[in-house]
Amino acid sequence: MDISKIQNLKNQAISAVLEAQSDDELERLRIAYLGRKGEITQLLKTIPSLSASEKKEIGQSINDAKKAIEQAIKDTKKSQQTQKIDFDQEWLDVTAPGKRPAVGHLHLVTETIEEITDIFEKIGFTRKTYPEVEWDWYSFGALNMPENHPARDDWETLYLDKLKHQKYGRAVLTPHTSSGQIREMEQQKPPIRMLNIAKCYRRQADVSHAPMFYQFETLVVDKDINITHLKGTLDYFARQYFGKDRKTRIRPFHFQFTEPSFEIDVTCIVCGGQGCPVCKDGWLELGGAGMVHPLVLKHGGIDPEKYSGFASGFGVERVLMMKYGLDDIRLLFNGDLRFLNQF
Amino acid sequence: MNILIPDSWLREHLISKATPKQVSHYLTLCSQTVEKINQVKNDSVYDIEVTTNRPDCLSVYGLARELNAILSQNKIKATLKPLVENQKEIPQIKKSLPLKVKITQPSLCPRFTAIIFDQIKIKPSPKVVQDRLEKAGVRALNNVVDISNYLMLELGQPMHTFDYDKIKGAKMILRETKKGEKITTLDKITRTLPQGAIIIEDGEGRIVDLCGIMGGANSEVDSQTKRVLLFVQTYDPMKIRRTCQALAFRTEAAARFEKGVDPGGVMPAMKKAITMFEKNCGAKVASHLIDLYPNPKKEKTVTLTQRKLNHLVGLEIKLVEAGKILENLGFKIKTDNNQLKAMVPHWRHEDISLPEDLIEEIARIYGYHHLPSHLPQGEIPEQKKAPRFEWESQVKQSLKDWGFTEVMTYSMVSLSQLEKSFLDPNDNLKISNPLTKDWAYLRSSLIPSLLTVLVTNHQEKIMIFELAHVYLYQSLKELPEELPMLTGMVNGQQFYQLKGIVEAILTMMGIDKYQFEPYQLKQTFYGKIFHPSRSAEIMVKNESLGVVGEIGPHLTAKFGLKGRVTAFDLDFRELVKNASKKKQYEPLSKYPAQVEDLALIVPPQTLIGEMMTVMKKISPLIVSLELFDSFQKTRTFRITYQNPRKTLTDKEVGKIRKRIIKRVKTKFDAKLKQ
Repeated sequence: MDISKIQNLKNQAISAVLEAQSDDELERLRIAYLGRKGEITQLLKTIPSLSASEKKEIGQSINDAKKAIEQAIKDTKKSQQTQKIDFDQEWLDVTAPGKRPAVGHLHLVTETIEEITDIFEKIGFTRKTYPEVEWDWYSFGALNMPENHPARDDWETLYLDKLKHQKYGRAVLTPHTSSGQIREMEQQKPPIRMLNIAKCYRRQADVSHAPMFYQFETLVVDKDINITHLKGTLDYFARQYFGKDRKTRIRPFHFQFTEPSFEIDVTCIVCGGQGCPVCKDGWLELGGAGMVHPLVLKHGGIDPEKYSGFASGFGVERVLMMKYGLDDIRLLFNGDLRFLNQF
Repeated sequence: MNILIPDSWLREHLISKATPKQVSHYLTLCSQTVEKINQVKNDSVYDIEVTTNRPDCLSVYGLARELNAILSQNKIKATLKPLVENQKEIPQIKKSLPLKVKITQPSLCPRFTAIIFDQIKIKPSPKVVQDRLEKAGVRALNNVVDISNYLMLELGQPMHTFDYDKIKGAKMILRETKKGEKITTLDKITRTLPQGAIIIEDGEGRIVDLCGIMGGANSEVDSQTKRVLLFVQTYDPMKIRRTCQALAFRTEAAARFEKGVDPGGVMPAMKKAITMFEKNCGAKVASHLIDLYPNPKKEKTVTLTQRKLNHLVGLEIKLVEAGKILENLGFKIKTDNNQLKAMVPHWRHEDISLPEDLIEEIARIYGYHHLPSHLPQGEIPEQKKAPRFEWESQVKQSLKDWGFTEVMTYSMVSLSQLEKSFLDPNDNLKISNPLTKDWAYLRSSLIPSLLTVLVTNHQEKIMIFELAHVYLYQSLKELPEELPMLTGMVNGQQFYQLKGIVEAILTMMGIDKYQFEPYQLKQTFYGKIFHPSRSAEIMVKNESLGVVGEIGPHLTAKFGLKGRVTAFDLDFRELVKNASKKKQYEPLSKYPAQVEDLALIVPPQTLIGEMMTVMKKISPLIVSLELFDSFQKTRTFRITYQNPRKTLTDKEVGKIRKRIIKRVKTKFDAKLKQ
């Protein structure tokens, strides 16, 4: 006889006992292993026929197995019985601190991007991504910005050393998400509802400007898109993001790649539109927008006689700073955990 | 650019009962934004931001013209008074004082006008002039200089006055500079000029004017001045801008010239200037008018159809009404049936050329606030969201739940950050015009940035991660590869903790076939960053997904970090490529499992991961194998055996167990603990 066989039998019996759901089942197991014709009992019966040396070792382990199984059945029965419980004995100090799992923090920009994405996805926009390092053509040229436009100056926009495309010009760190407009039009025929959220770069740094920041850009191109659709979409966003009571307004503005062009304002969060030092006469500026310039459509391979569109580009940090009353954009990017762990 | 406009000055040109509040409200909604109204004495002063395409609005008269159209549209009566000086005849004189002018290139100065006055008496300006200038934020100096500032504000035309007697040889040559020429300007600062600045030299070769920016001190009008030469010009905007930028110096006049000044506005300004010189300085015209305008702007007509107007605005504005709006803005209109022809006024020449440009004019005066709001009606495009975004949210959320704080750091790093990380600057893309040396290279790894975050924070326990692009050089003719990386970092020796995190991420993303291999590639860039014997490479289908391990102590020392640092650096694009959301249903086994613990004694430096792989491969009936305990040389494994189709017999389990023991003995020299 093999000792490991006895071991296995014991293990098998105990695991069956531990999984038993009722007294009846326990009783069945008891009979199966320890009953008159039970497996252990059968083994016990073989002991007398063993040699003296085997008797000691094997006999011992069979007896051990029997005891262990009996004990297991007893313990299991006990724990299954309803006991009389002394509740006072079981007193817990429920006011002592709990043992918490570790909880970290998502960056405010991430949370805001998720929120913005959800808002626009509900009305049929799809989030896209386009290069952050882009050729001049996509960032400026195709967007109707003339060769000598100030935005192209070395003190406004960051350029990469030496990189240059024969046709598309120098490589720039995109100063706006609008560079995604042409890329989108090149790969997606109308109807288009694009949401492009990406890092942008400009050559400036102070409390309200970081050299790297995020913008979210919408682009809609379809057969009958007009100014009222731009208004409707941006109103919808402002209500969803800032709350129903917020009002928006559009003011005339100027961008090379839209005509007409607008700036979008939302009523001030601090004063509710009465006018205060934070806002301009009750309004806070959200960002720029406009009807896509016919030349831009043409550069994207879309016939401006058939299609029209609108686009908007807002700063992610700007909207979140407005929402949370943050006064220094640089806090978001300098990795100070005392700040980041607040959110 | 912002300008300050006193309400009283505006009312000299605009008759209306509109209150300052109404003026501000409607101007903002329909034209230029009034940022605030300042009360100065008994006057309201508007602080107005003027957009770059509307230099014509950088003036009292330009804004009065806008308001005339806007207020009328909003049912507030308004009348724009014509400039009476436009009717003025320039006095003809018999004997003109001489002035010889030579312009080397006409493009430098598209329109050049000049006139000389005699019998000037220098004294303070009339009260009203001083008062208006001050409210507009300009210091009043004397009657001559004030005229040029006054008219710049009123009509948007900068001008300059010289002491005629200080121009040697009554001769002027307008030309571009060669690099390094010098001028001492009116503010008594000597400036070394860049190449391509526009200047005027006199008969003795002295530079007397830095055109469009500031005059020379050597030809300045002073208290002794009797004869004044007045300049009213336009200049090449680009040249002015480049010069200002090179000098890091910009004046009010320059800010206007670089946006483009209307050549059509030169003569009205000249005529009004003559009137003011006569009135305020007792001056007499003492020369013929010089007016050099070789290439006058051609008149421009833009056509707009009713269909296009309705289509872009989203509601019907009748062409007749549209025409009226445009006429109020100074356009000349011809309307027939379904189209409108608009002749563009000279002050809008640069800005208006397409039907869309006219639509903007019509719609803004009509009032964007009068247009309804609708969500786009058309068909919703069917597009699939890139899987990357979903995985990004899920992984970020999990890391947060596991106690990590997400950081976002700049894509640009410094030379010192690269050097401290033993990264070759030549492998990183260089920015040709960085703002500061802290932001000079595009990073090729997130590790230097995260180490910097560790340096700047002093908490006892730090757990951070970032998911961001790194930028990898391809060739001089290609855009860099933008590769999303997921990098996590904690302080202390936390290899197994971070390895566990990586394993959990892999499992969550449905990647089950992976291996952690002792890190061998010492020559790669990772080899220089990570600890050579305390890091592992994560392999999936023979492709590397990244590394987890301790940062090399040589790096942490360079960054000035005291303890050890552990990190993972994962190629997120590869992760997403291998990820799967596929779940497979397997019927629950009806047959019991057998669980047993096996204690093995292993030689030092045995790779347990490898050993477990080998053990697991021995039989498909081993459904789970866990490292249960590790103590000194003993490794205890908990093994679960199960057959989905029947109850396993002891004999079958015993067989597998024997094979395990034999295999680990031959392959790893491990022995069963007795």
